[in-house]
Order: sequence, then structure tokens, then C-alpha cells
Amino acid sequence: MNIVVIIKQTPDTESVIRIAPDNKSIVTEGLKWIINPYDEFAIEAALRLKSKHGGNVTVVTYGPPRVVEALRTALAMGADDAVHVDDPAMKTADFLRVTRALAAAATECDPEIILMGSRAVDYDQGQRGAIVAEMLGWPHLPLAVSLESDGKVVTIERPIEGGKVTLESPLPVLVTLGGSHAIWNPRYASLPGIMKAKKKPLKARKLTDLGLDPADFGPETARIRITSLEMPPQRAAGRMIDDGLDTEGKARELVRVLHEEARVI
Amino acid sequence: MKLLADERDIKFVLHEQLRIEELSRYPRFSEFSREICDMVLDQAEKLAEKEFYPTNRKGDEEGCTFEDGQVRVPGCFREPYRLYCEGGWLAMADPPEVGGQGFPFLLGNACLEFLGSANWAVMMYPGLTHGAARLLERHGSRELQDIYMYRMYSGEWAGTMCLTEDVAGSDVGSLRTKAVKREDGSYSISGQKIFISCGMHDLTENIVHMVLARTEGAPRGAKGISIFVVPRLLPREDGILEDNDVRCAGIEKKLGIHGSSTCVLNFGENGNCRGFLLGEENAGMRIMFDMMNEARLFVGMQGLCHANAAYLHALQYAKDRIQGAPVERMKDPFAPRVPIIQHPDVRRMLMFMKSSTEGMRALMHLASYCIDRVRAAQDPGERERFQGYVDLLIPICKSVGSDLGFRVCETAIQVYGGYGYSREYPVEQFLRDCKIASIYEGTNGIQALDLVGRKLTLKRGQLVKNALAAIDEILAKVRTNFNLRDMVQIYDEAQESLIQVTKFFALKGMTDEFHVPLLYAKPYLDLCGDVSMGFLLLWQAHLADRRLREIYRDHNASDDVSRGKVLRENRSAAFYFGKIASARFFINQVLTQAGGRARSIMNNDKSALDIPDHGFALV
Repeated sequence: MNIVVIIKQTPDTESVIRIAPDNKSIVTEGLKWIINPYDEFAIEAALRLKSKHGGNVTVVTYGPPRVVEALRTALAMGADDAVHVDDPAMKTADFLRVTRALAAAATECDPEIILMGSRAVDYDQGQRGAIVAEMLGWPHLPLAVSLESDGKVVTIERPIEGGKVTLESPLPVLVTLGGSHAIWNPRYASLPGIMKAKKKPLKARKLTDLGLDPADFGPETARIRITSLEMPPQRAAGRMIDDGLDTEGKARELVRVLHEEARVI
Repeated sequence: MKLLADERDIKFVLHEQLRIEELSRYPRFSEFSREICDMVLDQAEKLAEKEFYPTNRKGDEEGCTFEDGQVRVPGCFREPYRLYCEGGWLAMADPPEVGGQGFPFLLGNACLEFLGSANWAVMMYPGLTHGAARLLERHGSRELQDIYMYRMYSGEWAGTMCLTEDVAGSDVGSLRTKAVKREDGSYSISGQKIFISCGMHDLTENIVHMVLARTEGAPRGAKGISIFVVPRLLPREDGILEDNDVRCAGIEKKLGIHGSSTCVLNFGENGNCRGFLLGEENAGMRIMFDMMNEARLFVGMQGLCHANAAYLHALQYAKDRIQGAPVERMKDPFAPRVPIIQHPDVRRMLMFMKSSTEGMRALMHLASYCIDRVRAAQDPGERERFQGYVDLLIPICKSVGSDLGFRVCETAIQVYGGYGYSREYPVEQFLRDCKIASIYEGTNGIQALDLVGRKLTLKRGQLVKNALAAIDEILAKVRTNFNLRDMVQIYDEAQESLIQVTKFFALKGMTDEFHVPLLYAKPYLDLCGDVSMGFLLLWQAHLADRRLREIYRDHNASDDVSRGKVLRENRSAAFYFGKIASARFFINQVLTQAGGRARSIMNNDKSALDIPDHGFALV
């Protein structure tokens, strides 16, 4: 089974995020980068499919040179090869155009199934999967918390309110992964895996290599622009009602505060 | 929260100070690169955060249990142990020919910073196994290696070191376990060993003990000790494992590392325990000492690991915990309450912890780096020189790591206040787990005797001279840095004090007052530790100062206001500023005491020797 996993490198979930002076981006200097955790679930799912059906797992991403680290980590986990869409024009592209480049890079690998996280822990747009599927004209099975395949049909479960629904689709198909670390339990790269990763093929592709015109990726073509970023407001400290009151007095004070100050009742 | 070890500082030591990548010029490490190094560190941190640390408290509370001769480790240890072995971590710094991954030992210890900080008790099992497997690698016959070594390096079977007996602890030469040669060339082993770390457990099917014992007619004392490979289960030729008459008679209830089993082992209760000689008869101590350097460094690392976690937890707590008004509005009841990190006394404690931890890190990793150079060197002169550094550094690493590590844990509790003393918070466990490090693998008193009695006198003091020359070479660059000259001066004075005490010891050693160096060996070792760490931090300050000035220049920051802005906004700038602050704090607060410490030794005060035993207290 020929599998493509589209991944994204995101700041570590433990990072302290700060807004850059331009107010439109974050300070990336000194940040620690990881594979987006949901994309890591996708790598794990891909490696499980491969161990069952054989085939090839290719990881695809875009971005500055540092993203090679994410690709190497995926290779160390067990992926077979990697593609890095590395083109300066991508810097100013909006999500739609980035996704177009990723779809083109994935198509080059002639996949039967494309996997990726349902969302990324950076901008959390949750759009890539649906857009790539749409561009390829493929069915999209979203938010998978399980994934099985007999080699012809793919079956997933996705959570819905109060339960799960089972979806299936013939190949080719694009699946976005939901769930949690506990559900997918993505494997760690082993030390021999890390050494092998160094020798696995990693291709860099320009937009022109993918049959795309860099001119279409300029900032003026963007349909979405980030105009400003701001930190969530600081939460005010909670207020404890005590004042030496008994239970009834505290209840009375609480009702008064909710009514007169917070005005919620 | 990543509160196990300071990844940025680890990378600073590896890349900027010791330049680990340059090891790839040796054939042994030709495949090694910075990219690989960072990937390995990332995985170690991830494994530590996600698998090791979540089992730390649980393992402490559950502890090991002993029932019907069987020892059970906390159930939650199985998964981290499995992942550790399957990932190839146990033999990560051993050559591929024996099943290892061939990484530098330095990288191995850098990874240990994460894994050991997350859960030291789990790390005990592979740690002991590795030491035993390494003895087999260095001294075992091909047959013993085929049967045991590969299975141990993979973690399939575990290993131990069995030295201590009830009358033979620090005085290992007094041990009484017997080995009687059998017709088939193997030996019948009988005797009891105590305090055996990981002596019995249920993480692996089999455990292979390295047992010190006496053959019949062997000379008295340490010269008559041999070392034997004694498996708990003996593999028959058809592969079936047979009981080898090794019994666990009980486990210790301890202050800390509850998840690590500490066992009483009885060998040959029924006369059916077979052992296989490692090397030659009566060569046991020499062989055992072969792995002692790494084992002692492992224990020094333990102290560093607990200090790591204790410091980072206390730092986070100090940022979160709101208590008290800012110092300038101390008497104003309406002043806003602030996080305790704003209080000068708390900041001083944090700086003590930061600078100590960073000093220890540099010390441990320098020793690891020297071990790599010994292993990789092709020139015998180079190998000998680095072996000399290792020999000198090991007792310092073991003792400083464990003692100062404990002090850092203690200070962490102080930062937490009453909560730190309670089980609700993790720092009290770090302190309990840390204490053993100053005791096992040769008490710190023994380390001091090793340094003063053996290492100083080796090759007529050449080890010390070589080390001082190497320090001088590096300091020559630091001396050109005008910003650091106040620190250099204090360092020079401290080093001179140390040299004075060293000469004092050499003179006393030749007189009938030879017991004075023994009396003050430990304070001398502490002084060596302070001076070594002072040197390493000064070296770091020099590197950091250069980088910081580059960052200022890149941001056109030439005055205090613009520099202050860079420090607030630029993580790297804050880091390098912090490195210089560590050096400045340590050198001013600790190294300034070197003169007093030297005087306390050279005053030749013998009150501790002169006092009659019953003069200590009439009880």
C-alpha cells in the first residue's frame, strides 16, 4: 500500500508563545519544534497499515530548513522516504496555496491513501485535510480514532456526540486523524531507527518541480491574511467568599455578587 | 511542563563547550553528527517525559514487594523498561560489535539527564545490567559472552554487582563468600551478599550476577578475591533454564529509590550454585575496578539528575506561588502580593541551585567526554593523557554529584516551604532518592581516600600537573576577556589555595603525621570540586559572554536600555546572560571560601583524632 503522510512542524506544546513586534507572527527564536502531535498519530497509523499490508510510507512537509528535523524524526520512527517542499515563495503563501503545493507533492508519490492530523496545534485551522481531499477529488474521512483496511476499503471510527460513527470508503482516500495520544500511542524513534533515518531518501522539491508557478504564491494572491495576533486576556484572580460568614451568609453573599456585580442571575 | 532537565544548558555543554560533534573525526564515531545528536536527545526527553516520569511517584509509593522468595517491582515500571530496551538505549554508547549503538558516552550521559531525572529507580535496573555486561565484554570468554553478554546488552536479561557482605562493605577485602573449583572447571559458590541493588526482580526472566568470592587457599584481603559470573537461572545446552540455587532472603526497606529492589542474596544454600570465573583467580578486584569509573560516574549522574528535577520544579513553583509583598513595599498591607521568585532570599536559593546544577553538569559531561577520548584515541599518548583526567575526575564527580545534588534537593524543599516537606509535592522524593548516592558505589569518604591516597600520587603527581596545564591552556583565552577579570582573579586565588593544600598533603604524607591527609581528605575533595566547577563555569561564562555580545551587536543594542529590551525579548540572550550570572554567583559565593577551606585543613587541627572515644559523649 502506497501511503503518504502530510505533516507539519509546530512549536512544542510546552512552549511559551510570544507575539513578535510585527503583531502578526510569533517569536520563533529559541523555540523548540516538534511534529504536530496529530500528524504523529497519522505517522503511527501509516506505519501500522504498512506492517499489515506492506508498501511504502512517504512523509511530506513544507517550510524552512528546520523542518527537515521533523522529516528525519518521521523517518526514524519508520517511514521510508520524505519530501520537503522547499521554496522561498511558500513563505508568503496563505493556507490554501500551501495546501495546493502539499497536494501536488503528495500526488507525485502516487498514493492510495493520504493521512494527516485533523488539526495542527499552531493556528488550529483544521482545513488542510479537507482542502487536499477536495483538490484531489478524493473522499475525506475525518477525525479518525481508529483505522482499518483490507487493502481495498478503509474503515474508520469517528466520535460524535454520545458515541462513535463508523465510516468507510474505497481507496484512494484521505483520512485525517483525531483522538489523543492515549488512543494512537505513537511509537518512539529507536536509536537504530535514528541511525537508519540518516540514510533514507529525502527529496527537496521546488514549486516548479511540482508543476506550480511561484508567481501564484505571492502575498498579493493570499485570500486570508493575518492582520494581528493578541494573547488571550489575563484571567483575573478568583474571589473567595469568606468574610467570616456562615454557610447561609456565604450563600447570600454569592447570590448578591452574581446578581449585582456579575449580573448573571 | 518540562521540568526534568535544562535541555538548553545540556546542548550548550555538548555543542558550545565540549563540541561533541568533533568526536566524529575519530573512526569510532564517524557516523555521528549534530543532527543525530539532537534527535537522540529529543527522543530521550520524550521518553522521559511521557513514560518515565509518570511512574516516578507511583513507583515510590508502591515500592518493591517480597513474597515467597520472589521480588516484584512496581508494575508501572514494566512499560518504561520495555521501551528503554526496545529503543536500544541500554547499550547506546557501546560498539555495534557487541550489540550497541556506538554513540558517544557523553551523549549517553546527556540522555541519562532526562531519563534519570524522570525516574532514577527504573534506571537502576539497566544501569546495573550495563555494568555487568561490560565486565563480560572486557574480561569474559567468548563462550560466556555468547551466552550472557548479548542478552544483557539488549536488556533481555538483567545483571548485578555482588560485592557487599555483612562484614565487608567499604572493607571489601574481608569478604567470605567461597568458590570451590569443580571438576568441569566451573566453581561452586556459597555465601551471602547484602545490599545487592536489583538483586532479584521480575522485570526479566534471568539475572546474571557478578559475584566477588574467594577460592580455596586464596591470599587474605583484597589480593585473594576473584570474580564469578553467577546466573540466577543456568542455561542448559538445550536452552532450558535451570535453577542455579540463588535465593533472595529479603529486601531492604529504604529511605528512597523504593522502586529499586535492594536484596539479601544467598548463593548455594543447597550446594548447587555454579559460577564461572571471569579472568583469572585472584584478579577480582582489578577486574571490578575496570568498570568502577563508569559506575561511579553513574552515581554522580544520579545526584545531578535529582538536582535537575529539584531545581526546575522549585523554579516553577517560585514563579507560581504568590506570597508576600514586594520588598520595597514590605510594610504596606495594601501592597499587591507577588510570586515568591521576586523575594531576594528565594532568588539567592534559586541561583545556588542553578549554578550548582550547571557546574555539576559541566563536570559530569567533561568526565564523559574524556572517557570518549580515551576510547576513541588512536595515539597512545593522547589516550594516556585523557585516562589521567578521567582518573582524577571520577572521585570528584561521584562525591560532588551526590553531595551537592542532595544540597540542591534540600534547597528545593526550602523554596517550597512547608509544601515541599509534604508528600503532596514531588521534591521530597527527589531528596529521599538522592541520599543513597553519597553512600553506595564507594562512600564519599572512600572517594576522598581514592583521590588523596591513590590519584594524587599516581605517576608522581603527574595527573594533577597535566590537569592544571590543560586548565591553564583554556584559561589563557578567558584571561583576554576584560568583562570576566574579577572572576578570573577569584578563581586564581582559589586554585592557588588548592595547590597549597595539595603540597601540604604531599609533605604530611612523608611524615608521621600521614593521617592528617586522611582526616581532611573529604574537605580536600570538596575543595577540588569547587575549583573544578569554578573553572568550568568560568569557561562557560567566557563562551556565553562572546555570544551575548554578538546578539547585542546584531540588535544594535549598545546601551543599558536597549540591552534590557533584548534580554526581555530574546531567549538566547537571556540564556547567555544567565550563564554568566551562574559563573559570577558561584565564583563569588562559593569559590571565595576556598582560602578559608584551605586554612581549615592546613591548620593541622587534630582534635578529631586526639579526642578519646568516650570524650565524644558520656553515653
